Amino acid sequence: MEVLSRGRTWETAGTSLGLAFTVIIASLAISYPTALILTRVHVPFPRSFFTLAVLPLAIPSYVAAYAWLAQFPAMSGFWAAALILTLVSFPYTFLPIIVSLRTSDHSLEQVARSLGRTPITAFLATSFRQSTPAAAAGSLLIGLYVLSDFGVVALFRVDTFTRVIYSTYRASFDKTSAAVLAGILVLLAIILISLERKARGRTLRYRPDRGVANSLSRLTSTRGIRSASVAWLTGLATTSLLIPTASLFILMSEGTRALDWGELTTAVINTVVVSFVGAVIAVGLALPIAALTSRFRNRKSAAIESLSYSGLALPGVVIGLSLVFLSINVFPAIYQSFFLLAFAYAVLFLPKSLGASRSAFESTPPVLEQVARSLGKKPMSAWVFTTGRLSLTGVAAGGLLVMLTSMKELPATLMLRPTGFETLATELWNRTELAAYGAAVPYALALIAVAAIPAFLLSKAILVTKSEEKRPTEISISA
Amino acid sequence: MKAIEVSGVSAGYGGEPVIKEIDLAVDSQQLLAILGRSGSGKSTLVKTITGFIRPLCGKIFLDGVQVAGPEVFVPPELRNIGLVPQEGGLFPHLSVAQNVEFGIRKDAGKDLRVQELLELVDLRELARARPQELSGGQQQRVSLARALARRPSVILLDEPFNALDATLRDHVRADIAEILSHTSTTAILVTHDQDEALSTAHSIALMDLGRILAFGSPQSLYQSPNSIPAAKLLGPINEIPGTVASEHIADTEFGEMTFDTHELTEVGTRGTVLTRPESIDFGNQGTSALVESIRFHGHQAMVTVITQSGLRLKVRDEQSVTSHIGDTVQLVFNDVNTFIPASQASGRL
Repeated sequence: MEVLSRGRTWETAGTSLGLAFTVIIASLAISYPTALILTRVHVPFPRSFFTLAVLPLAIPSYVAAYAWLAQFPAMSGFWAAALILTLVSFPYTFLPIIVSLRTSDHSLEQVARSLGRTPITAFLATSFRQSTPAAAAGSLLIGLYVLSDFGVVALFRVDTFTRVIYSTYRASFDKTSAAVLAGILVLLAIILISLERKARGRTLRYRPDRGVANSLSRLTSTRGIRSASVAWLTGLATTSLLIPTASLFILMSEGTRALDWGELTTAVINTVVVSFVGAVIAVGLALPIAALTSRFRNRKSAAIESLSYSGLALPGVVIGLSLVFLSINVFPAIYQSFFLLAFAYAVLFLPKSLGASRSAFESTPPVLEQVARSLGKKPMSAWVFTTGRLSLTGVAAGGLLVMLTSMKELPATLMLRPTGFETLATELWNRTELAAYGAAVPYALALIAVAAIPAFLLSKAILVTKSEEKRPTEISISA
Repeated sequence: MKAIEVSGVSAGYGGEPVIKEIDLAVDSQQLLAILGRSGSGKSTLVKTITGFIRPLCGKIFLDGVQVAGPEVFVPPELRNIGLVPQEGGLFPHLSVAQNVEFGIRKDAGKDLRVQELLELVDLRELARARPQELSGGQQQRVSLARALARRPSVILLDEPFNALDATLRDHVRADIAEILSHTSTTAILVTHDQDEALSTAHSIALMDLGRILAFGSPQSLYQSPNSIPAAKLLGPINEIPGTVASEHIADTEFGEMTFDTHELTEVGTRGTVLTRPESIDFGNQGTSALVESIRFHGHQAMVTVITQSGLRLKVRDEQSVTSHIGDTVQLVFNDVNTFIPASQASGRL
């Protein structure tokens, strides 16, 4: 217990929380203007810019950090870490905010204008207010992501909790100290979660339930506003996507070492397969819980739900540690097995899949299920033919998100992978640990390329459901 | 044998029952309207009959077969009740034809049956359209065809015309009533629209606070309601205090008024004479009153007058506007009135 009394422990906690809040505020400062531009200003190629604003999800934070470091070797410390973490995690607030701004009832904003508000105060009083729960949920994801991040803080030498836990575990295999530190980390996460619950508070989410949405005509924007908007979007894509990838390409062209294509291919296959299996397990676990909680609200279903959300409070390091504990002591047969790793991804990212499935189910009218039953379908098949079928895109989006994040997950993979089983993330890590930066680059690029596929599909899924269905299936990437 | 029989049914969602001791019977091939305000328990009653809610007590029979009771519960998919929900409830991912064939078993006659049904609702050309491409009225007709596909013993229409605009509504309502009688289908129409209930149904059940207030033919319920709340549900009504003077006569401030009665009322009983706005005419002599406001409806006008005693009365002026605000008019009372004793005024029977 002496770990607790160490002054450094509390200092580290302060650094972790400070970093989390800084990144959240910076992400909101990026997300709101971007979402507003894409919903209110006539810019060329709005769909492409939308996809570009989602794609940073494909860049693992430690790869981004490494790519920036390669070009700007002086970068180090708290603010550098905050910058990189913001650039890779702002899509977590951008996505729920833009979805909320698109589906919110614009007639409220028009009413506010007619009651004498200016465009800005009308927006703040209505659509902005309606978007705060979505923004809070996204902020929570970012906060938890930052608390659990390991790669960036390690590279920029910021002493946060994850780094201390991992080094304690690595240095001495001192599981008890690591567990105590992990407990504090969970406590910090719980603080964030309760803050989010408070922010969400009593704000009611208005669901426009009739087919024709009252869409606000885009602002008759001046040429100045349009150019500034395009400049903003281009600048964002440059810093979040172009700089890191360009940097990696430069490094690769400088690299002299021969690349082992066999090793790279194996790592790509391993990454895709294990994250896919993890996503399938996560969706499988999420479906019954989401189906239950979206239709029946009672104490039992609420308890099941909060239990599954507890994954949010458990950073990868903690899940990794606890699964190591559990498998060694209870199921030694699966310790360091492929299945355990996939299962860890599923537990770790279950909330993402759960949130997406639940809001998809909630936006399908229950009357369809009743009609199907009155037409002779048994309860299960009535559900499959109506709610299940109509929620496919939303459920798939949740699965894609799990797959995407699993591909990038480092600490849990490092702890739980079977001996000799290498994913793109671990290969990358092994090489950077040996300071073989040049050799790491192809793996970094491959990881971005592979993760870009689910990220791209995710952005398409959101665009499709927003534009083509009469009753938009709400896709939520947040809790 | 009744097509539907509900006896002593109470039901709810856990806690206090939403509908209490409901008794209801519909004859085969008849259209029953359940009329009530929102929150009166109409939808709960519909869900109980279709089988989405299990009643707390009471029994339900369809074509003489018990489907709900203390020891019996037939799930909705085995009850063969057609459902036409608000806004149609069409499956958005299926075409019109696929929606209609959803409940039909796969066999040789299936395509023919779909054709037949689409012809019945006059939508053959739109078989491949998606629900989103249809107008509100067309969606309702597809929904009806889909409900009829399994030749149900009864069809439940749950406020099906709500989403339609007023002019379209009359049209679609008439279409649907005709299709129902053409196919000899028993139906229950749930509505909060008094005109809809009065003009479409063979009989009406009035619902309020989870109970049935009154049950009967549209004419009898309209002209001789059994309580003040029941009278109000079917349209504007004037309440004139009075005392029974003889078998069909009550003494009021306007002199003797004739009334119909459900049961004999003792002479001297105090209560209210109910009279519809169209049972009062403007004449050359009678009770004088002052015109307070006029609401113009085109083919007629609703005139509110104040009598000398300060009582406000509504009078339907069939000649549209013949008077002006501030005029003094003479009122003549017709014979079509109802007397409600004070003890029954609340409508709790």
